[in-house]
Amino acid sequence: MATSENISTARPVTSWRALLSSQRNFKRAQQVIIFIIMAIGAIAMIAPFEWMLATSFSRSANVAMPRIPRFWPSDPSIFNYKVAITNLPLVRYYVNSLIVTAASTLGYLFFSSITGYAFAKGRFVGKSILFIILLTTLMIPFEIRMIPMYLLMRQLHLSDTYAALILPFISGGFGTFLMRQYISAIPDELIDAARMDGAGEVRIYWQIMLPLVRPALAALAIFRFMWSWNDFLWPVIVINSTDNKTLPIALAFFEEDHRTNYNLLMAAATFIVLPVLIIFFAMQKQFVAGITMTGLKG
Amino acid sequence: MLKKLRKSLIWYIFVAPTFLLYGLFVAYPTFETFRLSFFHEVATRQEFVGALHYIRLLGNRVFLAALLNTAFLGIIFLLIIIPLSLVMASLLNNLRVWPNLFKAIYFLPQITSTVAVALVFSYVFQPNWGLVNGILRQLGVDPLPLWLAEPRYVLTGSRATVTILAVWVALGYYMLIFQAGLQAVPAELYDAAVVDGASPFQTWWLITIPSLRPTFIFLLITGTIDAMSRFSDLWMLGGPAGTPARSLQTIVLYMYQTAFESNDFNLASASAVILFVIVLALTVLNFRSFLGREFSGQSGA
Repeated sequence: MATSENISTARPVTSWRALLSSQRNFKRAQQVIIFIIMAIGAIAMIAPFEWMLATSFSRSANVAMPRIPRFWPSDPSIFNYKVAITNLPLVRYYVNSLIVTAASTLGYLFFSSITGYAFAKGRFVGKSILFIILLTTLMIPFEIRMIPMYLLMRQLHLSDTYAALILPFISGGFGTFLMRQYISAIPDELIDAARMDGAGEVRIYWQIMLPLVRPALAALAIFRFMWSWNDFLWPVIVINSTDNKTLPIALAFFEEDHRTNYNLLMAAATFIVLPVLIIFFAMQKQFVAGITMTGLKG
Repeated sequence: MLKKLRKSLIWYIFVAPTFLLYGLFVAYPTFETFRLSFFHEVATRQEFVGALHYIRLLGNRVFLAALLNTAFLGIIFLLIIIPLSLVMASLLNNLRVWPNLFKAIYFLPQITSTVAVALVFSYVFQPNWGLVNGILRQLGVDPLPLWLAEPRYVLTGSRATVTILAVWVALGYYMLIFQAGLQAVPAELYDAAVVDGASPFQTWWLITIPSLRPTFIFLLITGTIDAMSRFSDLWMLGGPAGTPARSLQTIVLYMYQTAFESNDFNLASASAVILFVIVLALTVLNFRSFLGREFSGQSGA
C-alpha cells in the first residue's frame, strides 16, 4: 500500500493509472508469495505419503534402506502388497474393520436421529432433564471410562468380539445433540400435517424427518466412519485374538514383528490409508461443510 | 392423564435405547472408575482403602513424570499450532489460486490412521536412513540429530519429534476451523477499517484477531482435551512405557500400563480420576474466561 502512494505522488500526471497498475502488481506479488508459502507447506504434507508409496512399491524386501531418500521406487513392483495380503492376513482384518465400522456408523446414525427427533419435537415429562444428562457425555472423555468398560465387557463375556467394538459406540451425546439442533429447525406445521393424515411418529421419523436431515446425517456418517476406522485405544484393550483384530491394531502388532521389513510395512500402511483417502477425495465438499458445521475432525 | 401418558410413551421408546447404552457405557463406568479408585483388590475381593491410591500416585515418580510430560507436550503443541494455523489460514483466505486444493492437502494427515501416520513418521525421522536426516546429510549437517532416540529436552529430541508429528497432523484441521471463523467476521468491520485508513496488518491485528475469540476458545478447549488424552501415536513410537527413558509417556499411557500390564485396575482408576479432574478444571477455566469476557463485552456495547 505504501509503495502505491509513493509512486502516485512521484508521477502525478498519470497518477490514477500508476496507482492502478502498481496496486495490481502489489496484489500479484502478494498472491505469488502466499502461493509459495502454501506450496512449501503442501510439499511437507505430501512428502511423507509419497515416500511411503515409493518405499511400498520398491521390490527390495529386508534390504537396508538407501541412505539418500528416494521418491521413486527402485525396481517397481507390487511384490510387497502380495506379501502383505498373504502374510498379514490383510483381507481378514479388512473385513473385521469394515464390519465394525459399518455397524457402529449405521447404529450411531439411527440412534442419534431417533433420539434427536424425540428431544426436538416430542412432548414428554423429564425431557429437558434427560437431555442435560445425555449432554454430560461430552464432558466425560472415553479414557476416563475405559477401565470399567473393559471389566464390564469381560463380565458380559463380550471381550474379544465384534460386539465389544460396536455396542459402546452406536449412540452418543454429540450425535443426538447435533440431530436435535437440526430437527428443531424443521417447521412444526410439516409434522402436524402428517399427523392430521394419520401418520404415526415412527412413520413421521422414517419418511419425513430422515430425508430432511440428510446433510447432517452425511456429516455424522463421514466422521463416525473415519473415527471408527482409525480407532486404536479401545480395540487394543478389548481385542486379543489375532482373528478379531481391526486394521490399525493389526498394523501395530505387525510392526513389532517385522520391524526391519520397511517396504512390506509401508505397503500395509498404504492399505489402511487408501479407503479413507478415497472417501475423502470423493466427498470433499460434504467433508469441509461437515467440519465447519460440527467442529469434528476425523 | 392415562391418555397423555400413552401419547408420550412413543417418545420414551425413542429415547430408551440411547439411555440404556448411556447407562451401561457412560454413567456406570464413570461411577465405577471413582469407586475402584478407593478400593483395593485382595484375593478377588474389593476392600475399601480410602485415598491410598491417590497418596501412592502423588509419591510415584513415574506417574508425576507422565503428568508433567503430558502437560509439557500439550502446552508446546498449542503454543505452536494456534499461531501457525491462524497465520496459514489468514494467508490461505487471501489466496485466489487453488485454495480448496491446498485445504484438502493440508487436511490429509488428519484423516489418516494415527497408527499409519506414526509408523511413517518413525521412518521419516529414522536417524540412519530417514527422510529428514537424508536431506540434512545432503545439506552437510554433522553430526546428524538422533530424533526419536534422544530422550533429553533438546530441539531435535524425542519430544520435539512427536510435537512436529502432532503439528503436522493437526495443522489442516486448525486451519479449517480458523477459516470458518474468519469468514464469520462481519464485513462492516473491515469496511470501517478501510475508511479509517488502517493498514492490512493493523486490520488483521486489531479487527480479525479480536473477532476470532470464540474460535480461539473452541480450539483451546478441544485442543487441551486432545492433548491431555494423547495416546495412540506415542504408543506406536515409544510403546506403553514411552521409550526412550519414558520421555514420551503420557497419563493415558501410564494408565494403560498400570491397568493392562501390571493388572492394577484400582491404581489406574485413581489416575483416571486425576485426569478427569484436570480436564474438567481446564475446560471450565477456558469456558469461564470466554463467558466472562463475552458478558463484559456486551455490557460495554
